[in-house]
Amino acid sequence: MACRLPTNSFLSASSFVHVSPSSHSLPIASSPTKTLSTASFYRRRPNITRAVLQWNRKPQLAGETPRVVVITSGKGGVGKTTTTANIGLSLARLGFSVVAIDADVGLRNLDLLLGLENRVNYTAVEVINGDCRLDQALVRDKRWPSFELLCISKPRSKLPLSFGSKAITWLVDALRSRTAGHPDFVLIDCPAGIDAGFITAIAPADEAVLVTTPDITALRDADRVTGLLECDGIRDIKMIVNRVRTDLIRGEDMMSVLDVQEMLGLPLLGVIPEDAEVIKSTNRGFPLVLNKPPALAGLAFEQAAWRLVEQDSMTAVMVEEEPKKRGFFSFFGG
Amino acid sequence: MSYIFNALSLFPTQSLSNGNGGREFKVGNVANLEVLWFSKCRLRWSFRKACGFRVKSADNSIDSTGREQVEGGVRVDFSTKALESDKMAGSLHWRINDPPSFVVLVKRNAGSKYAVGFYIALTIVLIVAKQILSKRKIQTRHGSVAELVKRGQLRSNRRGISKLDLKYEDPFNNPQVKIEKNNSKIEMCGKVYRLAPVTLTQEQQLTHLQRRSRAYQWKRPTIFLKEGDLVPPNVDPDTVRWIPANHPFATTATELDENLAQNNVFQKDGVPFRVRAEHEALQKKLEALQSAQNEIGINQNNIHEWERSAERSSKLNEQVEPSASLEKQNDEFSSTGNKNLPDKLDKL
Repeated sequence: MACRLPTNSFLSASSFVHVSPSSHSLPIASSPTKTLSTASFYRRRPNITRAVLQWNRKPQLAGETPRVVVITSGKGGVGKTTTTANIGLSLARLGFSVVAIDADVGLRNLDLLLGLENRVNYTAVEVINGDCRLDQALVRDKRWPSFELLCISKPRSKLPLSFGSKAITWLVDALRSRTAGHPDFVLIDCPAGIDAGFITAIAPADEAVLVTTPDITALRDADRVTGLLECDGIRDIKMIVNRVRTDLIRGEDMMSVLDVQEMLGLPLLGVIPEDAEVIKSTNRGFPLVLNKPPALAGLAFEQAAWRLVEQDSMTAVMVEEEPKKRGFFSFFGG
Repeated sequence: MSYIFNALSLFPTQSLSNGNGGREFKVGNVANLEVLWFSKCRLRWSFRKACGFRVKSADNSIDSTGREQVEGGVRVDFSTKALESDKMAGSLHWRINDPPSFVVLVKRNAGSKYAVGFYIALTIVLIVAKQILSKRKIQTRHGSVAELVKRGQLRSNRRGISKLDLKYEDPFNNPQVKIEKNNSKIEMCGKVYRLAPVTLTQEQQLTHLQRRSRAYQWKRPTIFLKEGDLVPPNVDPDTVRWIPANHPFATTATELDENLAQNNVFQKDGVPFRVRAEHEALQKKLEALQSAQNEIGINQNNIHEWERSAERSSKLNEQVEPSASLEKQNDEFSSTGNKNLPDKLDKL
């Protein structure tokens, strides 16, 4: 059993490289090059946690492209769509081409979060019916042209389920073989629950990102969904813990990130703090990661995207918010 | 005495002690002062160029001159002459003879008083500037409800709409993230965090995997049936998903052939299947009508109408891209053409 950390462990940081013999010997899913390059350094100072933020280089894309990632949770309202929008645009910012598929058939919202709701004329249902071609149904984001959105259906239309799973697999295959070049990432925003929409959404996925909040209801659903994904053959599952609040964790009113990880046993892709900017960004239709100045949650999403690209996972989390030393002229905003 | 006035000019707000009949003024020459309001616990002083000053009291009924008295409270008007009273003069003399330490300092170092004044004025200006900047920042914040108005999601004409700022931070050079040299702490958005290792091991992950594989036995449903349908033979019941007939977004019924749907998805260029099929059906209908026309034999006017309609259909065929306008045009054409033509034929 690994040693427990303080319960107020908090946020994600970035691409961490950490070796701590007392806790565990293997950095989880860390890229081997990083482990080798830093191993000798850590041997000298074994008990210090290291964080290496590599902002000054483009992340190296790992795995076969296109990477088909389903973003799911089980419980509703934990932030699947927000995560899809922000990670998708982060990936686009990092220079990768991304197609985000809103597989939430009945209750689609991804277009709203991205501010593309007025540009969705055709959906995948129209493509299947032969009313338009696939390239006509893809909505290109003008802010980042390497990001495209595909909605499965319009709010009042029905998806024929007789070949629902097959249809979304065809769509992904068609994206793979398109003349303009296949995307690096296909992100599928899964609907809540484990109903027909979930079954359709996970069909073409090779890996999954499980979004959860640190509360027991979300964790139970997340565990169930993880079990279903594993039964379906998706083994590369990482989790994002969303809406983490320091104050509640410090007061032991909320489970810490490490508590969540202990319950689910999944590697961490990212930890997103609760942030009022999320609501504002939803209102604007302007994802957090494009905010200027970037919000804390936006930075956390960006780092999660970084790890997703490199198929990396967090090996350290941020613990305890320390008060920043204020300067003499802090009264004047210094 | 001028140094006292200068010193006082740096402090626009002063307190009045309520001794000596409710008035004890820490001033030498009051010609430049006007006391605007004097209540139980609140006093406001301001400078004015006009001579004389005025004391208004809401609770104290003492009137030094007796010149003016208003309603329940007492309103006192002073002129410079009123200060000639012995009491006041004595008080002033005492103040002059025993000046406060600050005044002494100013007197000793008369050259630095301007510097002190300058710094205090600068402080005030900075505070005001900071307030203005923070106010402006609040006014121009993004993500407010006004954005919903701008996006047409909320109807309100009264809300202000701020301009969108579409400039982005460089993802490879983020100034909001700083790491300490020893990498043990991280600063994000002005907050400092300590780093701690993740304790999940590979063994623990495997344990969880085994636990879930025992707990959840699931097969992905491959057959969707609506309630009341019979399960086909040789089908695993675990792979059947029952969909209610009134399901809000899922339906088991479809008119579309599976192969056709697949072809539609993989179509990379050309006219989409349904649009093409509709055009072809329309073309056939027109041809049939034309042949009927030839058989019957119609006059010249009707022939011209036929030609016009034929031209329309040829234009429709030329259009490659499907569009809403095209569909509308089709509907219009089919509705008008189909309704009108039989009538005309009947007339013939």
